[in-house]
Amino acid sequence: MKKDKAFLILSLTLVLVSQPKSAYGMHIMEGFLPPIWSISWGLIALPFVIHGLYSLRKTIDEAPKLKLLIAMSGAFAFLLSALKIPSVTGSCSHPTGTGLGAVLFGPTIMSVLGLIVLLFQALLLGHGGLTTLGANTFSMAVVGPFVAYAVYIIIRKANGPQWLGVFLAAALGNLSTYMTTSIQLALAFPAEAGGFIASLTKFMSIFALTQIPLSISEGILTVLVIKSIASYANAELPSLKRLIKEA
Amino acid sequence: MMISIDMYAYASKLKDINPMEKLALAFITLCVCLWANSIIISLAVLLIMTWSTIYQGGIPGTVYLKLLLIPMGFLILGVLTIAIEITPQPYEFLGSIYFFNFYLGVSKAGLITATQLFFRALGAVSCLYYLSLNTPMMDVMSALRKLRCPKLLVEMMSLIYRFIFVFIATAETMIIAQSSRLGYSGILSGYRSLGTLISSIFIRSYQQADKIYTSLESRGYDGELNVLEQHKAYSLIGYLKVFGINIFLISLTAII
Repeated sequence: MKKDKAFLILSLTLVLVSQPKSAYGMHIMEGFLPPIWSISWGLIALPFVIHGLYSLRKTIDEAPKLKLLIAMSGAFAFLLSALKIPSVTGSCSHPTGTGLGAVLFGPTIMSVLGLIVLLFQALLLGHGGLTTLGANTFSMAVVGPFVAYAVYIIIRKANGPQWLGVFLAAALGNLSTYMTTSIQLALAFPAEAGGFIASLTKFMSIFALTQIPLSISEGILTVLVIKSIASYANAELPSLKRLIKEA
Repeated sequence: MMISIDMYAYASKLKDINPMEKLALAFITLCVCLWANSIIISLAVLLIMTWSTIYQGGIPGTVYLKLLLIPMGFLILGVLTIAIEITPQPYEFLGSIYFFNFYLGVSKAGLITATQLFFRALGAVSCLYYLSLNTPMMDVMSALRKLRCPKLLVEMMSLIYRFIFVFIATAETMIIAQSSRLGYSGILSGYRSLGTLISSIFIRSYQQADKIYTSLESRGYDGELNVLEQHKAYSLIGYLKVFGINIFLISLTAII
């Protein structure tokens, strides 16, 4: 009898977890974090955004043309987050686009673009929120892009093939974003029995179920996108290259 | 793929109210809701904000309900994860199940936290929707400008906002073209189509940015786009309302 009950609960959790809707934009929703954590994560994310703004200002002063290109990239990142990707498990979810953005523009500019995209997602799509903007910026626009960029640079330095670098950058960028989100949630809500570690295990295992297949999907997709951008956009590459170098 | 929140914001009856007033009401009430962390306050916030949005703003109730369902996936999953605890030893649970050497259970404190959290988040979301369903994005940006947000940030925001809708139109046409050629009939072709879609939008946006820059420069662009803002009257009564609602909520916390 007990076993039946457990099985029922497990399968119910699995159904809930594998629902495409649950995986729909895993930003921390509005009002989910207690005030103290909302403020702390905002303060932690702030220096990265300020640094990003300064480097953006410098880039634009040197080459004013890039301003519109960077704005276009921001709109592109927003659009990416509104698209559905077919996942390996059959459900759909949304690419974070952090890997693609970090590889193309570098992590510093992504922190500013990420903040703007997250604000638009909160206001226009109802994903994420105003009080959780700091926490989401930190995971989605700081940790994700930095991890993705570091992975990409390491693979390229080690003379690994480009597709592998792009794949791992996108997949690990996505995973690290959700790991950061679980850490943020576990810090805010330590378990009654077992504290932070027990809570982290719970959040991590729930995210792992949905996010590992999704990060693989995003990796594959990013490789496809980078490949066709490289092969079709020869005429656009000069300005693109300059942007990539200066970012 | 029309962004419905944006559409309703331009149709809202509260559209012409000074954006600072709406921002103050949404944000201060949001903060009070988070600070109070009580089910009754959260429900009061939810009621006030829903009433303001539906009756004063004129947003259809069914639309509002559907929008409230958007964060539900995250909310239910998050709350369940907090409520259900896993321990290797039995703990003071209200009820528990033994499962693969672990106890899955619900403790009293965890249950209280989870319930409070559920309603708090719901109240907070209603504040967010009050702002976003009644304030067109251009007004939000003008409010940010008045709040001394970095100029560059607000300017990037307004550029990105304009470009988003150009892209959505392009993407929509492409998706229809691809699906009518069975581009999304299977997983493999789905990946291929989506890859092509994203990269062609990317390439097209670069070309477009180039063209826009050329046309701007030929009209004397010097790095700044100046637009006239619509003047929205400032009203004392609006701010008094913000003040009144929040004093009411805070004193309600004191009574409970």
